[in-house]
Amino acid sequence: MIDQPSPFGSLREQLLGAAEQFAEGPVAVSGILSGLVDDVDRALREELEIFPVCHHSPASALAMVRRLREKQPKVIYLELCEDLQPLLTELRNCRLPVALQAFATDIDGFPKSWAPLSVVAPITEASAEYQAISYALETPGVELVLVDRSTDHVFQWAPGEEPQTAAKEEEAGLHGDAVGVEIGDLRPRFAELEEHLLHHGKVRHWSEWWDQYVEQPLSGADYETYRQVMVLIGSLFRRLGPGGGRLAVDEDRERYMWTRMREHLSASGADAADCLYVCGAFHAASHVEQFGVRSEAPFEISPRTGTKWLYGLIPSSHSAIEAQFGLAPGSVSIAAATWSKALTRGKLTPFQLQGQKGARKRPAKLPAPVPQGDVADKLTGFLSSPPALDALDEAELLGWSVDIVRLARRNGYLASTADAIAVYETSILLAGMRNRARPTPYDFQDAAVTCIEKDSVPGRRDVRRLCEILLGGDRVGEVGYDALPPLARNVYDRLAPLGLDLEKRTIQRALLNLQAEPDLVPCSDLLWMLRHLLPSDAVRPIMGERKLGERSIQESWDLSFGKHQRSIIELGYEGVTIEQVLEQRLRRKVWDQKATAAVALAAVEDAILFLGSRRFADELGARAVELLAAERTVDDAPEVLRRIRRLMAYYRSAEPELPAWCEAFATSGYAHYCTLLPTAFVDDDTGVRQVSAMLGFLFSMESLALALGCDRAQLELAVQQSHPEAPAKVALLWAARHQLGLLPLAELRSRADELLANPLVIPSFPQYIIGFVQAMEPVPQLSGFVVEVISKAFGRLPDGVLLPWLPKLITTLREGAAELVPVLVREAGRTFPGSLTAADTWTPPWESRPQPASAAGAAPMASGPVAELLLAHPAACDAVAGVLGCAGEWAAPGAGPADGHPEVSALLDGHPEAALALAGLLS
Amino acid sequence: MSDDMLRAPAEVKYAEELDYLESIDDGPKPFSWRLSPRMIRMFVLGSERADGIDREIPQKWFGDRSFVERSIVTLASDRGLLLIGDPGTGKSWLAELLSAAICRNSTLVVQGTAGTTEDHIKYSWNVSMVIAKGQSRESMIPSPIMTAMEGGVIGRFEELTRSTSDVQDALISILSEKYVSIPELDDDNIVFAQPGFSIIATANSRDRGVNDLSSALKRRFNFVRIPVVTNKKSEAEIVRFRTEELLRRHRIELDLPPTLLDILLQSFADLRSAASSATSDDDKLESALSTAEQIGVLEDAILHSHFFGDRVLRAQTLAGSLVGSLARRSPEDLAILNKYWHGVVEPRSKKDGGEWPEFLEGGREAIATLS
Repeated sequence: MIDQPSPFGSLREQLLGAAEQFAEGPVAVSGILSGLVDDVDRALREELEIFPVCHHSPASALAMVRRLREKQPKVIYLELCEDLQPLLTELRNCRLPVALQAFATDIDGFPKSWAPLSVVAPITEASAEYQAISYALETPGVELVLVDRSTDHVFQWAPGEEPQTAAKEEEAGLHGDAVGVEIGDLRPRFAELEEHLLHHGKVRHWSEWWDQYVEQPLSGADYETYRQVMVLIGSLFRRLGPGGGRLAVDEDRERYMWTRMREHLSASGADAADCLYVCGAFHAASHVEQFGVRSEAPFEISPRTGTKWLYGLIPSSHSAIEAQFGLAPGSVSIAAATWSKALTRGKLTPFQLQGQKGARKRPAKLPAPVPQGDVADKLTGFLSSPPALDALDEAELLGWSVDIVRLARRNGYLASTADAIAVYETSILLAGMRNRARPTPYDFQDAAVTCIEKDSVPGRRDVRRLCEILLGGDRVGEVGYDALPPLARNVYDRLAPLGLDLEKRTIQRALLNLQAEPDLVPCSDLLWMLRHLLPSDAVRPIMGERKLGERSIQESWDLSFGKHQRSIIELGYEGVTIEQVLEQRLRRKVWDQKATAAVALAAVEDAILFLGSRRFADELGARAVELLAAERTVDDAPEVLRRIRRLMAYYRSAEPELPAWCEAFATSGYAHYCTLLPTAFVDDDTGVRQVSAMLGFLFSMESLALALGCDRAQLELAVQQSHPEAPAKVALLWAARHQLGLLPLAELRSRADELLANPLVIPSFPQYIIGFVQAMEPVPQLSGFVVEVISKAFGRLPDGVLLPWLPKLITTLREGAAELVPVLVREAGRTFPGSLTAADTWTPPWESRPQPASAAGAAPMASGPVAELLLAHPAACDAVAGVLGCAGEWAAPGAGPADGHPEVSALLDGHPEAALALAGLLS
Repeated sequence: MSDDMLRAPAEVKYAEELDYLESIDDGPKPFSWRLSPRMIRMFVLGSERADGIDREIPQKWFGDRSFVERSIVTLASDRGLLLIGDPGTGKSWLAELLSAAICRNSTLVVQGTAGTTEDHIKYSWNVSMVIAKGQSRESMIPSPIMTAMEGGVIGRFEELTRSTSDVQDALISILSEKYVSIPELDDDNIVFAQPGFSIIATANSRDRGVNDLSSALKRRFNFVRIPVVTNKKSEAEIVRFRTEELLRRHRIELDLPPTLLDILLQSFADLRSAASSATSDDDKLESALSTAEQIGVLEDAILHSHFFGDRVLRAQTLAGSLVGSLARRSPEDLAILNKYWHGVVEPRSKKDGGEWPEFLEGGREAIATLS
């Protein structure tokens, strides 16, 4: 530190005097007041020039521009996470605001539940840090060093709870769930102080307070005044803040920064006088021992964890910054507007990165540096004189008033020139009431609301929102093509044949006629993959779908990549191409500890649909077999059944033979479900739907499984071992037995009739019906019977039983709508008459069914060449009968009832004309 | 003087305060205003230590500062002021305070009803005098608005949207040309508004759509929307302030236990949040659940316990008044209150104790009596 008498002696005395006068005794107040002056004194006398800033403050940015021109430092130390440094050069490819992002999914050393970790540091044009960055990167021989703790330390030092996330609006949610870091966080640290300042400042929110009491007075101030006032405010909030964890982290950061700066100074041999340290005003008033280049207090920087951090730029927006850092809506936009106005007024040329999107022009050459004079007390004058009020800027206010009326009219308000006059007048009156000559944007906003807003908002935006738009509006940044990760660039390249400007923020409609333009097929493939990976709004198919075995001829898509650039960039952290990311995701899903066979089958389907890789699908399929064999529950059985059926159907139609894993799945599934069947039948936790899906699997895969060496006896045994008690499952078991040939339909029918006739069982009859309905899937031939049972139930069950159960039937049918309803409806359509007239004479087929002939077993004997052949060579039939264990005798032709069809004979006897005519014709 | 009136207007009630403010006021005053805008703000919102005046000015209207500022500024401009908001949000009270502070006269009021005619806004005739002497300025009865125009003071129009559209439109010429012509007279037939004249109208946002303002009239008014107070702290202050005033008016000495005030505020807060999440009109109470409603409930309970009880306000009485005031429709409102009592008050009385069990009991009884 420079040993000179403090220039702030008189100010200190003045303040102490005032403290004594106002307070009872010079105890706490005087301590704080003199401490403030000490802090300012200390910061200003530091050899390494400290430049205190506040985030999103145009005054800071202006002072920075002026100071950089004057001093032209050789090294700039910046309070920003040191590991973000390589990203800074990429800023020139972006349109600000964008955010520097560090992202980690592969975490090591933090609780697993924190993943993914994400840190963002938004950069706007109207900020001191951007000026410093641009100056350093554009001026040869200037070094920029980021000195703040790394992003890893952000989480290391974070309190041990999970980072909070909150729902945000569309534009405000641009940063996702990231933790925000910013340069120059300056705000009262406890609510009462802020409330007090707002109350006495007669302002509504912090941004307005800052604008009125710091920003405005400082925007035109000289550098010394700026510096001293900023350090004073930093010191005030520091001294009036609560201690605790947050302050401890801040102090650690200060130690970190000073240590890093000293390391750099000694390593590079730079002269401290040629350097500039840009940090938040809060840190400028630091009390840590490590403060100052002369300090020798040690600080050990803890090593980073094993977490693998990835870095990139993501688009940001003014509203996202406001939401992230709790600023008032519109405040960053207003700061941006103030900045550009102040530049014009002060005739300043800001620093800008070359090639920056939206850049105005190349900055002029730097003038010769101006040597710095001694520190003089500027605070006394600043504090004792009332702020120099801006004179009324008539032209500006008039411009605003006219513009807001025009904007309001465009948004459906009935506003006219008279309103423009009223807004103008009211703004001045309101500012006058609030002790200012020049209406601030906030006064103007109030005035516009008063004069234009009526009882309802005609359009989408109200006047307050329109004012925000007028005063700058939300600006959304964009990461340029060159600064994108390889994956995102690859996506844009591959979608180039579509001929759309994908960087636009509006929704783009892509039309793909795949038949006429087959070269668009790769685009379509990519879009389907993106559809799978990105949020649903980013890529939305309007026409066309992709299912196993189906391809669309034409597709139409709604693409909104501009809005979802962040998601695409974050995909880039996972891999180099979309295919790789998708493959990794599927692999991760399938190898997850909680993965089930259904999940694995879904992954197989996705792999076939999107990646088309047989090898990879086989790998996932093999995993599905493993997972199925390891499963102990059958909860997923319906899903498994649906998916494996679909996959097998696909393979059968598309490939010469089934892949090995499908066969393995069928056999191991057969054995697996056979084993679990008896338990599933009795287990209360397993639903009817699950059991029916198991049976469905067993019956539909039976032929394949048996061909591959499974034993049918296993299934028969399993069914025999099943002794369900729940009525629905009993019905299901009967159906299974019917399918296996153990229970003929006639017996099934008589059992159902018995149930209906038994008054004790009637209340539970609906449960049986549910079981039968579910049985239609595994045993489709039973559908006629199900229609019969339901009809009988509707006919015979008392209302008291029937009505409460109807909703249940409907929900059951709705759950299985895809499988159950078509079968049931088709069968019902076949059974019931199609017209009203037919309904009168209709008798149900099961009632009109002719009784079996008394001579049971004596089926009418057919005659003809087949019968004759069989009769002539009975050996084969006898052998088959012997194998099947059927005893029987050969009947002679014509040995049965002479006339098997008496109706036909009667008809022919009654009307012989047609037959005779036919015979005549033939002869 | 204020002792002789059941309810003294603000300029009488706060005459001394206004005199004091006028004496220290050195700010610029628009037109013929008695106080400068800043002093008016101080009169309405109360003074602070930082204002550096000798005596304390109590706060009289509770709400956001910017509403008051915007209202004052509107009156200083060319346009009328329309305060719009739910019933019981303090619109009329603010209007009264503003006119009292600006011109010391808050009684030039036209009450908008379905029966209000254009005569009430402009002028009418003293029929017997017309018969005796013919039509002259003498036999004319000016409306409060016309009186305000002549005197260059503030005229008030309560419940503007209750009066029919043709009557409302009579205000258009008054607000734009600032004169009323009297075609019946041959000379001296125009009444010009003096500087300082303006109109404060109030409108109930629940009446929207009954008699919508024409766009011509809307254009001549600045709208200031007064929201329902939901901040518990300021609501408690309002209720206490108004109730004390009522007690003074009725000359009742009765303590208002803070715990009961809390119960009242809490119940209203609960019912409001229930109303805001309701999906149909049948699921929410008909009442707007405004602060004025709370004051009404409290007043009812106080009067009840003063005249029929043992002169101590009890939770049971409060519950009875609450149910009595809010149950307007049977069975809808009663069903909602019943649900509230069983779903919220009952668990709370088990959990928190205090006065809640008694409140629960009283509410149950009241609901049982009404159903």
